[in-house]
Amino acid sequence: MANINYRTINVDAYDPESSYNFDLTTLQPASLPAPSTSAESAQIAQQVRQLLRAGDSLGALSSALETAPLAGDEQAKQVHLTTVLEVLQGIRQADASRVLQEMLRQPGGNALADTLMKYIYKGMGSGAGGSASRGMSPQSTGGVDGVSRGFSQIQARNVSEGGSGQAMSVLLSWHEKLVELVGVGGIVRVMSDRRTV
Amino acid sequence: MAAPEVHHLFHHPIADHSFSSDRQTLAVAKDNNIELYSKAGNQFTLKDELKGHDKTVTGVDIAPHSGMIVTCSQDRNAYVWEPSPTGWKPTLVLLRINRAATFVRWSPSEKKFAVGSGARIIAVCYFEEENDWWVSKHLKKPIRSTITTLAWHPNSVLLAAGSTDSHARVFSGFIKGVDDRPEASVWGERLPFNTVCGEYLNDSAGWVHAVSFSPSGDALAFAAHDSSITVVYPSGPEQPPRAMINITTQNLPFTSLIWNGEAEILAAGYDCEPYRFRGGEQGWELVGSVEGKRGAGAAVQEESARNMFRQMDLRGKAKDDTQLTTTHQNTINTIRIYSGSPAAVQQFTTSGVDGRVVIWNA
Repeated sequence: MANINYRTINVDAYDPESSYNFDLTTLQPASLPAPSTSAESAQIAQQVRQLLRAGDSLGALSSALETAPLAGDEQAKQVHLTTVLEVLQGIRQADASRVLQEMLRQPGGNALADTLMKYIYKGMGSGAGGSASRGMSPQSTGGVDGVSRGFSQIQARNVSEGGSGQAMSVLLSWHEKLVELVGVGGIVRVMSDRRTV
Repeated sequence: MAAPEVHHLFHHPIADHSFSSDRQTLAVAKDNNIELYSKAGNQFTLKDELKGHDKTVTGVDIAPHSGMIVTCSQDRNAYVWEPSPTGWKPTLVLLRINRAATFVRWSPSEKKFAVGSGARIIAVCYFEEENDWWVSKHLKKPIRSTITTLAWHPNSVLLAAGSTDSHARVFSGFIKGVDDRPEASVWGERLPFNTVCGEYLNDSAGWVHAVSFSPSGDALAFAAHDSSITVVYPSGPEQPPRAMINITTQNLPFTSLIWNGEAEILAAGYDCEPYRFRGGEQGWELVGSVEGKRGAGAAVQEESARNMFRQMDLRGKAKDDTQLTTTHQNTINTIRIYSGSPAAVQQFTTSGVDGRVVIWNA
Protein backbone atom coordinates (compact mmCIF):
# COMPACT_ATOMS: atom_id res chain seq x y z
CA MET A 1 0.00 0.00 0.00
CA ALA A 2 2.85 2.30 0.71
CA ASN A 3 3.62 2.77 -2.95
CA ILE A 4 0.41 4.50 -3.89
CA ASN A 5 0.89 8.15 -4.62
CA TYR A 6 -2.39 9.57 -3.44
CA ARG A 7 -1.80 12.82 -5.27
CA THR A 8 -2.09 11.10 -8.62
CA ILE A 9 -5.43 9.48 -7.94
CA ASN A 10 -8.14 11.06 -9.98
CA VAL A 11 -10.70 11.55 -7.26
CA ASP A 12 -13.29 12.85 -9.73
CA ALA A 13 -13.47 9.46 -11.36
CA TYR A 14 -14.86 8.02 -8.12
CA ASP A 15 -17.56 10.63 -7.75
CA PRO A 16 -20.63 9.65 -9.76
CA GLU A 17 -21.90 13.22 -9.43
CA SER A 18 -18.75 14.68 -10.95
CA SER A 19 -18.81 16.20 -14.41
CA TYR A 20 -15.86 13.93 -15.14
CA ASN A 21 -18.33 11.08 -15.34
CA PHE A 22 -20.75 12.94 -17.57
CA ASP A 23 -21.85 10.62 -20.32
CA LEU A 24 -21.38 12.64 -23.49
CA THR A 25 -23.30 10.15 -25.60
CA THR A 26 -26.46 11.43 -23.93
CA LEU A 27 -26.00 14.58 -26.00
CA GLN A 28 -26.16 12.71 -29.28
CA PRO A 29 -29.51 12.86 -31.01
CA ALA A 30 -31.31 9.71 -32.06
CA SER A 31 -30.94 10.70 -35.70
CA LEU A 32 -27.20 10.10 -35.60
CA PRO A 33 -26.07 7.79 -38.40
CA ALA A 34 -24.55 4.41 -37.65
CA PRO A 35 -20.85 4.32 -36.79
CA SER A 36 -18.59 3.96 -39.80
CA THR A 37 -14.98 3.09 -40.46
CA SER A 38 -12.21 4.61 -42.50
CA ALA A 39 -12.66 1.94 -45.17
CA GLU A 40 -16.20 3.11 -45.78
CA SER A 41 -15.00 6.71 -45.88
CA ALA A 42 -12.41 5.80 -48.48
CA GLN A 43 -15.09 4.14 -50.57
CA ILE A 44 -17.23 7.26 -50.39
CA ALA A 45 -14.21 9.31 -51.37
CA GLN A 46 -13.98 7.31 -54.58
CA GLN A 47 -17.58 8.02 -55.51
CA VAL A 48 -17.25 11.69 -54.67
CA ARG A 49 -14.11 11.99 -56.78
CA GLN A 50 -15.94 10.45 -59.70
CA LEU A 51 -18.71 13.03 -59.40
CA LEU A 52 -16.16 15.80 -59.19
CA ARG A 53 -14.33 14.53 -62.26
CA ALA A 54 -17.61 14.38 -64.14
CA GLY A 55 -18.02 18.08 -63.41
CA ASP A 56 -20.95 17.68 -61.05
CA SER A 57 -19.76 20.12 -58.37
CA LEU A 58 -23.05 20.30 -56.55
CA GLY A 59 -23.49 16.53 -56.53
CA ALA A 60 -19.97 15.98 -55.29
CA LEU A 61 -20.30 18.52 -52.50
CA SER A 62 -23.71 17.39 -51.30
CA SER A 63 -22.88 13.71 -51.41
CA ALA A 64 -19.65 14.36 -49.53
CA LEU A 65 -21.56 16.28 -46.87
CA GLU A 66 -24.48 13.88 -46.69
CA THR A 67 -22.18 10.98 -45.97
CA ALA A 68 -20.20 12.75 -43.27
CA PRO A 69 -19.17 10.11 -40.69
CA LEU A 70 -20.73 11.94 -37.75
CA ALA A 71 -20.53 8.81 -35.62
CA GLY A 72 -17.40 7.42 -37.19
CA ASP A 73 -14.06 6.90 -35.52
CA GLU A 74 -11.24 9.41 -35.68
CA GLN A 75 -9.70 7.80 -38.77
CA ALA A 76 -12.91 7.76 -40.71
CA LYS A 77 -13.32 11.42 -39.91
CA GLN A 78 -9.82 12.27 -41.08
CA VAL A 79 -10.29 10.43 -44.36
CA HIS A 80 -13.56 12.18 -44.96
CA LEU A 81 -12.07 15.57 -44.09
CA THR A 82 -9.55 15.02 -46.87
CA THR A 83 -12.37 14.18 -49.26
CA VAL A 84 -14.35 17.31 -48.42
CA LEU A 85 -11.26 19.50 -48.70
CA GLU A 86 -10.55 17.99 -52.09
CA VAL A 87 -14.05 18.83 -53.23
CA LEU A 88 -13.77 22.38 -51.94
CA GLN A 89 -10.49 22.85 -53.76
CA GLY A 90 -11.88 21.19 -56.86
CA ILE A 91 -14.77 23.61 -57.28
CA ARG A 92 -13.90 26.86 -58.99
CA GLN A 93 -14.25 29.90 -56.74
CA ALA A 94 -16.48 31.59 -59.27
CA ASP A 95 -18.95 28.73 -58.95
CA ALA A 96 -18.87 28.52 -55.17
CA SER A 97 -21.75 30.90 -54.46
CA ARG A 98 -23.99 29.30 -57.05
CA VAL A 99 -23.26 25.80 -55.77
CA LEU A 100 -24.00 26.85 -52.21
CA GLN A 101 -27.24 28.53 -53.17
CA GLU A 102 -28.41 25.45 -55.03
CA MET A 103 -27.39 23.24 -52.15
CA LEU A 104 -29.40 25.33 -49.70
CA ARG A 105 -32.45 25.09 -51.92
CA GLN A 106 -32.43 21.29 -51.69
CA PRO A 107 -34.49 19.69 -48.95
CA GLY A 108 -32.22 19.34 -45.94
CA GLY A 109 -29.86 21.90 -47.44
CA ASN A 110 -29.57 23.80 -44.18
CA ALA A 111 -28.20 20.75 -42.42
CA LEU A 112 -25.66 20.27 -45.22
CA ALA A 113 -24.59 23.88 -44.92
CA ASP A 114 -24.03 23.38 -41.19
CA THR A 115 -21.93 20.30 -41.92
CA LEU A 116 -19.91 22.21 -44.48
CA MET A 117 -19.22 24.92 -41.93
CA LYS A 118 -17.90 22.26 -39.56
CA TYR A 119 -15.53 20.99 -42.22
CA ILE A 120 -14.31 24.49 -43.02
CA TYR A 121 -13.44 25.05 -39.38
CA LYS A 122 -11.93 21.61 -39.00
CA GLY A 123 -9.89 22.19 -42.13
CA MET A 124 -8.58 25.47 -40.79
CA GLY A 125 -7.91 23.91 -37.41
CA SER A 126 -5.86 21.08 -38.80
CA GLY A 127 -3.66 23.37 -40.82
CA ALA A 128 -5.66 22.66 -43.98
CA GLY A 129 -4.05 20.90 -46.90
CA GLY A 130 -4.64 17.30 -47.66
CA SER A 131 -2.21 15.75 -45.20
CA ALA A 132 -4.30 14.42 -42.42
CA SER A 133 -1.75 13.44 -39.84
CA ARG A 134 -0.69 16.96 -38.94
CA GLY A 135 -1.99 19.17 -36.17
CA MET A 136 -4.73 18.50 -33.65
CA SER A 137 -3.11 15.54 -32.00
CA PRO A 138 -4.05 15.53 -28.37
CA GLN A 139 -1.31 16.95 -26.24
CA SER A 140 -0.69 16.05 -22.68
CA THR A 141 -0.49 19.11 -20.53
CA GLY A 142 1.48 17.52 -17.77
CA GLY A 143 1.97 19.59 -14.66
CA VAL A 144 3.68 22.95 -14.72
CA ASP A 145 5.55 22.63 -17.97
CA GLY A 146 2.22 22.22 -19.72
CA VAL A 147 2.22 25.99 -19.94
CA SER A 148 5.00 26.00 -22.45
CA ARG A 149 3.44 23.30 -24.57
CA GLY A 150 -0.22 24.11 -24.15
CA PHE A 151 -1.48 26.63 -26.65
CA SER A 152 1.44 27.51 -28.83
CA GLN A 153 0.66 28.85 -32.26
CA ILE A 154 4.18 28.82 -33.59
CA GLN A 155 3.87 25.42 -35.09
CA ALA A 156 0.58 26.18 -36.75
CA ARG A 157 1.96 29.31 -38.33
CA ASN A 158 4.89 27.47 -39.84
CA VAL A 159 2.48 25.05 -41.37
CA SER A 160 0.34 27.71 -42.97
CA GLU A 161 3.31 29.46 -44.51
CA GLY A 162 4.10 26.30 -46.39
CA GLY A 163 2.08 24.67 -49.10
CA SER A 164 -1.17 24.78 -47.19
CA GLY A 165 -1.40 28.56 -47.35
CA GLN A 166 -3.29 28.15 -50.57
CA ALA A 167 -5.65 25.61 -49.05
CA MET A 168 -6.31 28.05 -46.23
CA SER A 169 -7.25 30.80 -48.65
CA VAL A 170 -9.67 28.41 -50.34
CA LEU A 171 -11.27 27.66 -47.00
CA LEU A 172 -11.49 31.32 -46.09
CA SER A 173 -13.20 32.15 -49.33
CA TRP A 174 -15.71 29.31 -48.86
CA HIS A 175 -16.26 30.53 -45.32
CA GLU A 176 -17.03 34.02 -46.53
CA LYS A 177 -19.52 32.79 -49.09
CA LEU A 178 -21.20 30.41 -46.69
CA VAL A 179 -21.57 33.04 -43.97
CA GLU A 180 -23.27 35.31 -46.49
CA LEU A 181 -25.94 32.64 -46.89
CA VAL A 182 -26.35 31.09 -43.45
CA GLY A 183 -25.35 34.01 -41.24
CA VAL A 184 -23.64 33.79 -37.89
CA GLY A 185 -26.11 31.10 -36.85
CA GLY A 186 -24.12 28.60 -38.87
CA ILE A 187 -20.95 29.44 -36.96
CA VAL A 188 -22.72 29.19 -33.62
CA ARG A 189 -23.94 25.73 -34.55
CA VAL A 190 -20.41 24.56 -35.29
CA MET A 191 -19.52 25.38 -31.73
CA SER A 192 -22.59 23.95 -30.04
CA ASP A 193 -23.08 20.82 -32.12
CA ARG A 194 -21.92 17.56 -30.57
CA ARG A 195 -22.01 15.66 -33.85
CA THR A 196 -18.46 16.45 -34.79
CA VAL A 197 -16.99 15.79 -38.19
CA MET B 1 -46.51 50.52 -35.17
CA ALA B 2 -45.96 52.70 -32.17
CA ALA B 3 -42.40 53.08 -31.06
CA PRO B 4 -41.29 50.90 -28.17
CA GLU B 5 -41.17 52.49 -24.75
CA VAL B 6 -37.59 52.48 -23.50
CA HIS B 7 -36.64 52.78 -19.85
CA HIS B 8 -32.92 53.01 -19.32
CA LEU B 9 -32.65 52.24 -15.62
CA PHE B 10 -28.88 52.03 -15.08
CA HIS B 11 -25.64 50.92 -16.68
CA HIS B 12 -25.66 47.41 -15.31
CA PRO B 13 -26.88 44.09 -16.58
CA ILE B 14 -30.43 43.13 -15.67
CA ALA B 15 -30.52 39.41 -15.00
CA ASP B 16 -34.29 39.25 -14.78
CA HIS B 17 -37.23 41.59 -14.48
CA SER B 18 -40.85 41.32 -13.49
CA PHE B 19 -43.83 43.66 -13.47
CA SER B 20 -46.62 43.60 -10.93
CA SER B 21 -50.05 42.82 -12.39
CA ASP B 22 -51.13 46.49 -12.22
CA ARG B 23 -47.91 47.37 -14.08
CA GLN B 24 -47.10 50.08 -11.56
CA THR B 25 -44.18 48.26 -9.99
CA LEU B 26 -41.17 46.89 -11.75
CA ALA B 27 -38.70 44.59 -10.04
CA VAL B 28 -35.27 44.14 -11.59
CA ALA B 29 -32.38 42.01 -10.45
CA LYS B 30 -29.24 44.13 -10.25
CA ASP B 31 -26.11 42.57 -8.79
CA ASN B 32 -26.89 41.29 -5.30
CA ASN B 33 -30.11 43.23 -4.87
CA ILE B 34 -33.57 43.60 -6.26
CA GLU B 35 -34.55 47.12 -7.15
CA LEU B 36 -38.22 48.05 -7.11
CA TYR B 37 -39.25 50.84 -9.42
CA SER B 38 -42.64 52.45 -9.40
CA LYS B 39 -44.25 54.23 -12.26
CA ALA B 40 -44.47 58.00 -11.99
CA GLY B 41 -45.82 59.56 -15.12
CA ASN B 42 -43.95 58.06 -18.02
CA GLN B 43 -40.94 57.12 -15.96
CA PHE B 44 -39.93 54.49 -13.50
CA THR B 45 -38.34 55.80 -10.34
CA LEU B 46 -36.44 53.80 -7.78
CA LYS B 47 -38.67 53.22 -4.78
CA ASP B 48 -37.21 50.38 -2.77
CA GLU B 49 -34.38 47.92 -2.63
CA LEU B 50 -34.64 44.35 -1.46
CA LYS B 51 -31.36 43.45 0.18
CA GLY B 52 -30.66 40.02 1.52
CA HIS B 53 -28.82 38.00 -1.05
CA ASP B 54 -25.06 38.14 -0.88
CA LYS B 55 -24.32 36.99 -4.40
CA THR B 56 -25.68 37.86 -7.82
CA VAL B 57 -29.44 37.59 -8.02
CA THR B 58 -30.40 35.38 -10.94
CA GLY B 59 -34.17 35.42 -10.88
CA VAL B 60 -37.09 37.52 -9.71
CA ASP B 61 -40.79 36.96 -10.14
CA ILE B 62 -43.79 38.88 -8.82
CA ALA B 63 -46.92 36.81 -8.28
CA PRO B 64 -49.70 38.56 -10.20
CA HIS B 65 -52.45 38.13 -7.61
CA SER B 66 -50.80 37.94 -4.20
CA GLY B 67 -48.08 40.46 -5.05
CA MET B 68 -45.47 38.35 -3.30
CA ILE B 69 -41.99 38.51 -4.81
CA VAL B 70 -39.76 35.48 -5.06
CA THR B 71 -36.06 35.88 -5.75
CA CYS B 72 -33.18 33.47 -6.13
CA SER B 73 -29.46 33.99 -6.25
CA GLN B 74 -26.09 32.42 -6.75
CA ASP B 75 -25.75 32.36 -2.96
CA ARG B 76 -27.94 29.19 -3.17
CA ASN B 77 -30.89 30.84 -1.46
CA ALA B 78 -34.33 31.94 -2.42
CA TYR B 79 -36.48 34.45 -0.53
CA VAL B 80 -40.16 35.16 -0.63
CA TRP B 81 -40.78 38.85 0.02
CA GLU B 82 -44.11 39.93 1.43
CA PRO B 83 -45.26 43.50 1.89
CA SER B 84 -45.69 44.52 5.51
CA PRO B 85 -46.25 47.87 7.24
CA THR B 86 -42.51 48.15 7.90
CA GLY B 87 -41.45 47.33 4.39
CA TRP B 88 -40.81 44.12 2.54
CA LYS B 89 -40.39 41.11 4.79
CA PRO B 90 -38.23 38.28 3.47
CA THR B 91 -38.79 34.63 4.28
CA LEU B 92 -35.99 32.24 3.58
CA VAL B 93 -36.87 29.19 1.53
CA LEU B 94 -35.31 25.85 2.36
CA LEU B 95 -33.93 24.95 -1.04
CA ARG B 96 -31.39 22.36 0.12
CA ILE B 97 -29.12 22.87 -2.90
CA ASN B 98 -25.34 23.09 -2.91
CA ARG B 99 -24.91 25.10 -6.08
CA ALA B 100 -26.18 28.42 -7.37
CA ALA B 101 -29.89 28.91 -7.91
CA THR B 102 -30.33 29.96 -11.51
CA PHE B 103 -33.97 30.62 -12.22
CA VAL B 104 -37.26 31.05 -10.39
CA ARG B 105 -40.90 31.27 -11.43
CA TRP B 106 -44.23 31.22 -9.62
CA SER B 107 -46.73 28.64 -10.75
CA PRO B 108 -49.92 30.15 -12.19
CA SER B 109 -51.78 29.05 -9.03
CA GLU B 110 -49.24 31.01 -6.97
CA LYS B 111 -49.20 28.26 -4.35
CA LYS B 112 -45.84 26.99 -5.52
CA PHE B 113 -42.74 28.15 -7.27
CA ALA B 114 -39.88 26.31 -8.87
CA VAL B 115 -36.19 27.10 -8.54
CA GLY B 116 -33.64 25.75 -10.99
CA SER B 117 -30.09 25.23 -9.86
CA GLY B 118 -26.60 24.25 -10.81
CA ALA B 119 -26.88 21.23 -8.52
CA ARG B 120 -28.86 19.38 -11.21
CA ILE B 121 -31.95 19.86 -9.13
CA ILE B 122 -35.21 21.69 -9.53
CA ALA B 123 -36.63 22.63 -6.15
CA VAL B 124 -40.41 22.81 -6.24
CA CYS B 125 -41.33 24.95 -3.26
CA TYR B 126 -44.61 25.27 -1.41
CA PHE B 127 -45.79 26.78 1.85
CA GLU B 128 -46.23 24.44 4.76
CA GLU B 129 -48.81 25.87 7.13
CA GLU B 130 -47.81 23.79 10.16
CA ASN B 131 -44.22 24.95 10.10
CA ASP B 132 -44.98 28.42 8.76
CA TRP B 133 -42.18 27.90 6.29
CA TRP B 134 -41.51 27.48 2.57
CA VAL B 135 -40.22 23.98 1.95
CA SER B 136 -39.11 22.25 -1.21
CA LYS B 137 -39.25 18.93 -2.96
CA HIS B 138 -36.55 18.05 -5.43
CA LEU B 139 -36.92 17.04 -9.04
CA LYS B 140 -33.69 15.21 -9.67
CA LYS B 141 -33.87 12.50 -12.26
CA PRO B 142 -32.89 12.43 -15.07
CA ILE B 143 -31.30 15.89 -15.00
CA ARG B 144 -27.62 15.66 -15.85
CA SER B 145 -26.55 19.26 -15.72
CA THR B 146 -27.42 22.78 -14.63
CA ILE B 147 -30.99 23.91 -15.06
CA THR B 148 -30.99 27.18 -16.97
CA THR B 149 -34.66 27.90 -17.35
CA LEU B 150 -38.13 26.85 -16.22
CA ALA B 151 -41.70 27.37 -17.33
CA TRP B 152 -45.00 26.32 -15.78
CA HIS B 153 -47.87 24.69 -17.59
CA PRO B 154 -51.17 26.58 -17.18
CA ASN B 155 -52.40 23.75 -14.91
CA SER B 156 -49.67 24.54 -12.35
CA VAL B 157 -48.66 20.90 -12.15
CA LEU B 158 -46.44 20.36 -15.16
CA LEU B 159 -43.13 22.09 -15.29
CA ALA B 160 -40.84 22.46 -18.28
CA ALA B 161 -37.12 22.79 -17.68
CA GLY B 162 -34.21 23.51 -19.96
CA SER B 163 -30.75 22.39 -19.05
CA THR B 164 -27.15 22.66 -20.15
CA ASP B 165 -27.25 18.93 -20.90
CA SER B 166 -29.13 20.12 -24.02
CA HIS B 167 -32.43 18.52 -23.06
CA ALA B 168 -35.74 20.22 -22.58
CA ARG B 169 -37.84 18.17 -20.20
CA VAL B 170 -41.36 18.22 -18.91
CA PHE B 171 -41.84 17.08 -15.31
CA SER B 172 -44.75 16.72 -13.02
CA GLY B 173 -44.42 19.00 -10.03
CA PHE B 174 -47.55 17.66 -8.35
CA ILE B 175 -47.59 18.28 -4.60
CA LYS B 176 -50.16 16.37 -2.59
CA GLY B 177 -52.34 18.62 -0.52
CA VAL B 178 -51.37 21.71 -2.45
CA ASP B 179 -52.47 20.91 -5.96
CA ASP B 180 -55.76 19.67 -7.26
CA ARG B 181 -55.56 16.61 -9.44
CA PRO B 182 -54.86 17.87 -12.94
CA GLU B 183 -57.06 16.91 -15.84
CA ALA B 184 -55.62 14.40 -18.26
CA SER B 185 -53.80 16.05 -21.13
CA VAL B 186 -51.45 15.15 -23.95
CA TRP B 187 -48.71 15.05 -21.36
CA GLY B 188 -50.27 12.23 -19.36
CA GLU B 189 -53.10 11.19 -17.07
CA ARG B 190 -51.61 10.13 -13.78
CA LEU B 191 -48.93 12.54 -12.79
CA PRO B 192 -47.25 11.76 -9.46
CA PHE B 193 -44.31 13.99 -8.50
CA ASN B 194 -41.22 13.65 -10.70
CA THR B 195 -43.00 11.91 -13.57
CA VAL B 196 -40.99 12.68 -16.69
CA CYS B 197 -43.61 13.50 -19.31
CA GLY B 198 -41.23 14.37 -22.08
CA GLU B 199 -37.55 14.65 -22.82
CA TYR B 200 -36.47 16.40 -25.98
CA LEU B 201 -33.14 16.95 -27.66
CA ASN B 202 -32.76 18.63 -30.99
CA ASP B 203 -30.30 17.46 -33.61
CA SER B 204 -27.53 19.94 -33.09
CA ALA B 205 -27.98 19.72 -29.32
CA GLY B 206 -27.18 23.19 -28.10
CA TRP B 207 -27.75 23.80 -24.42
CA VAL B 208 -31.21 25.14 -23.70
CA HIS B 209 -31.73 28.82 -22.88
CA ALA B 210 -35.49 29.11 -22.72
CA VAL B 211 -38.61 26.96 -22.57
CA SER B 212 -42.26 27.86 -22.79
CA PHE B 213 -45.61 26.10 -22.97
CA SER B 214 -48.09 27.30 -25.55
CA PRO B 215 -51.17 29.08 -24.12
CA SER B 216 -53.20 25.85 -24.24
CA GLY B 217 -50.33 23.96 -22.68
CA ASP B 218 -50.40 21.35 -25.43
CA ALA B 219 -47.18 22.36 -27.14
CA LEU B 220 -43.72 23.21 -25.88
CA ALA B 221 -41.18 25.53 -27.44
CA PHE B 222 -37.55 25.79 -26.49
CA ALA B 223 -34.63 27.89 -27.66
CA ALA B 224 -31.13 26.50 -27.60
CA HIS B 225 -27.60 27.75 -28.11
CA ASP B 226 -27.52 26.42 -31.67
CA SER B 227 -29.46 29.54 -32.76
CA SER B 228 -32.59 27.52 -33.22
CA ILE B 229 -35.97 27.19 -31.64
CA THR B 230 -37.76 23.87 -31.45
CA VAL B 231 -41.50 23.36 -31.10
CA VAL B 232 -42.77 20.04 -29.81
CA TYR B 233 -46.33 18.78 -30.22
CA PRO B 234 -46.73 15.72 -27.98
CA SER B 235 -49.18 13.03 -28.99
CA GLY B 236 -49.73 11.34 -25.67
CA PRO B 237 -47.98 9.76 -22.73
CA GLU B 238 -45.15 7.36 -23.53
CA GLN B 239 -45.39 8.07 -27.24
CA PRO B 240 -43.06 9.93 -29.53
CA PRO B 241 -44.25 13.47 -30.24
CA ARG B 242 -46.68 14.09 -33.07
CA ALA B 243 -44.39 16.70 -34.50
CA MET B 244 -41.09 18.21 -33.47
CA ILE B 245 -40.15 21.17 -35.57
CA ASN B 246 -36.71 22.69 -35.44
CA ILE B 247 -36.16 26.11 -36.97
CA THR B 248 -32.51 26.98 -37.41
CA THR B 249 -31.87 30.65 -37.89
CA GLN B 250 -29.09 32.82 -39.25
CA ASN B 251 -28.97 34.82 -36.03
CA LEU B 252 -27.17 34.52 -32.78
CA PRO B 253 -28.90 32.29 -30.21
CA PHE B 254 -32.10 33.27 -28.45
CA THR B 255 -32.11 33.42 -24.66
CA SER B 256 -35.78 33.88 -23.93
CA LEU B 257 -39.09 33.25 -25.64
CA ILE B 258 -42.84 33.65 -25.14
CA TRP B 259 -45.88 32.46 -27.07
CA ASN B 260 -48.40 34.85 -28.53
CA GLY B 261 -51.37 32.61 -29.23
CA GLU B 262 -50.80 29.13 -30.59
CA ALA B 263 -49.35 30.28 -33.88
CA GLU B 264 -46.78 32.87 -32.92
CA ILE B 265 -43.62 32.90 -30.83
CA LEU B 266 -41.59 35.93 -29.81
CA ALA B 267 -37.95 35.29 -29.03
CA ALA B 268 -35.00 37.49 -28.16
CA GLY B 269 -31.40 36.98 -27.23
CA TYR B 270 -27.86 37.74 -28.27
CA ASP B 271 -28.98 39.67 -31.34
CA CYS B 272 -30.31 42.40 -29.04
CA GLU B 273 -33.74 42.56 -30.61
CA PRO B 274 -36.92 40.48 -30.47
CA TYR B 275 -37.88 38.28 -33.40
CA ARG B 276 -41.21 36.88 -34.46
CA PHE B 277 -41.86 33.28 -35.52
CA ARG B 278 -45.12 32.09 -37.04
CA GLY B 279 -46.39 28.64 -37.81
CA GLY B 280 -48.17 25.58 -36.55
CA GLU B 281 -47.89 21.84 -36.51
CA GLN B 282 -47.02 21.77 -40.21
CA GLY B 283 -44.03 24.01 -39.82
CA TRP B 284 -42.67 27.21 -38.40
CA GLU B 285 -40.74 30.05 -39.93
CA LEU B 286 -38.92 33.14 -38.83
CA VAL B 287 -40.95 36.15 -39.92
CA GLY B 288 -38.47 38.81 -38.96
CA SER B 289 -37.54 41.31 -36.34
CA VAL B 290 -40.27 42.94 -34.26
CA GLU B 291 -38.39 46.20 -34.56
CA GLY B 292 -39.18 46.32 -38.24
CA LYS B 293 -37.58 49.04 -40.29
CA ARG B 294 -34.45 50.40 -38.77
CA GLY B 295 -32.84 53.78 -38.93
CA ALA B 296 -30.40 54.74 -41.62
CA GLY B 297 -27.58 53.14 -39.67
CA ALA B 298 -28.47 49.64 -40.77
CA ALA B 299 -28.23 50.51 -44.42
CA VAL B 300 -24.62 51.57 -44.21
CA GLN B 301 -22.44 48.75 -45.38
CA GLU B 302 -19.56 47.73 -43.26
CA GLU B 303 -16.50 49.59 -44.40
CA SER B 304 -13.27 47.91 -45.25
CA ALA B 305 -10.60 48.02 -42.61
CA ARG B 306 -8.31 49.90 -44.95
CA ASN B 307 -10.91 52.58 -45.46
CA MET B 308 -11.49 52.85 -41.75
CA PHE B 309 -7.84 53.40 -40.96
CA ARG B 310 -7.53 55.90 -43.79
CA GLN B 311 -10.40 57.88 -42.38
CA MET B 312 -8.79 57.78 -38.98
CA ASP B 313 -5.54 58.95 -40.49
CA LEU B 314 -7.02 61.77 -42.55
CA ARG B 315 -9.62 63.10 -40.16
CA GLY B 316 -8.32 61.78 -36.91
CA LYS B 317 -11.71 60.29 -36.23
CA ALA B 318 -13.49 57.16 -37.27
CA LYS B 319 -17.19 56.87 -37.88
CA ASP B 320 -18.94 56.54 -34.58
CA ASP B 321 -20.00 52.91 -34.64
CA THR B 322 -20.37 52.30 -30.94
CA GLN B 323 -24.13 52.49 -31.22
CA LEU B 324 -26.14 49.46 -32.30
CA THR B 325 -29.07 50.07 -34.57
CA THR B 326 -31.30 48.09 -32.26
CA THR B 327 -33.20 49.53 -29.32
CA HIS B 328 -31.35 47.33 -26.88
CA GLN B 329 -27.64 47.93 -26.91
CA ASN B 330 -26.70 44.51 -25.61
CA THR B 331 -27.97 40.97 -25.16
CA ILE B 332 -31.57 40.58 -24.09
CA ASN B 333 -31.91 38.28 -21.09
CA THR B 334 -35.62 38.12 -20.45
CA ILE B 335 -38.76 38.57 -22.47
CA ARG B 336 -42.12 38.67 -20.67
CA ILE B 337 -45.74 39.39 -21.35
CA TYR B 338 -46.66 42.91 -20.23
CA SER B 339 -50.32 43.26 -21.16
CA GLY B 340 -52.85 40.94 -22.70
CA SER B 341 -52.96 37.21 -22.11
CA PRO B 342 -50.71 34.43 -23.37
CA ALA B 343 -53.35 33.72 -26.00
CA ALA B 344 -53.26 37.30 -27.27
CA VAL B 345 -50.29 39.36 -26.19
CA GLN B 346 -50.78 43.08 -26.62
CA GLN B 347 -47.50 44.29 -25.20
CA PHE B 348 -44.39 42.55 -23.99
CA THR B 349 -41.24 43.66 -22.22
CA THR B 350 -37.60 42.81 -22.64
CA SER B 351 -34.65 43.48 -20.39
CA GLY B 352 -31.00 42.86 -20.92
CA VAL B 353 -27.37 43.41 -20.25
CA ASP B 354 -27.58 47.08 -21.25
CA GLY B 355 -29.73 47.99 -18.23
CA ARG B 356 -32.76 48.83 -20.33
CA VAL B 357 -36.33 47.63 -19.93
CA VAL B 358 -38.29 48.06 -23.13
CA ILE B 359 -42.04 47.77 -23.58
CA TRP B 360 -42.98 46.62 -27.08
CA ASN B 361 -46.23 46.35 -28.93
CA ALA B 362 -46.70 42.77 -30.05
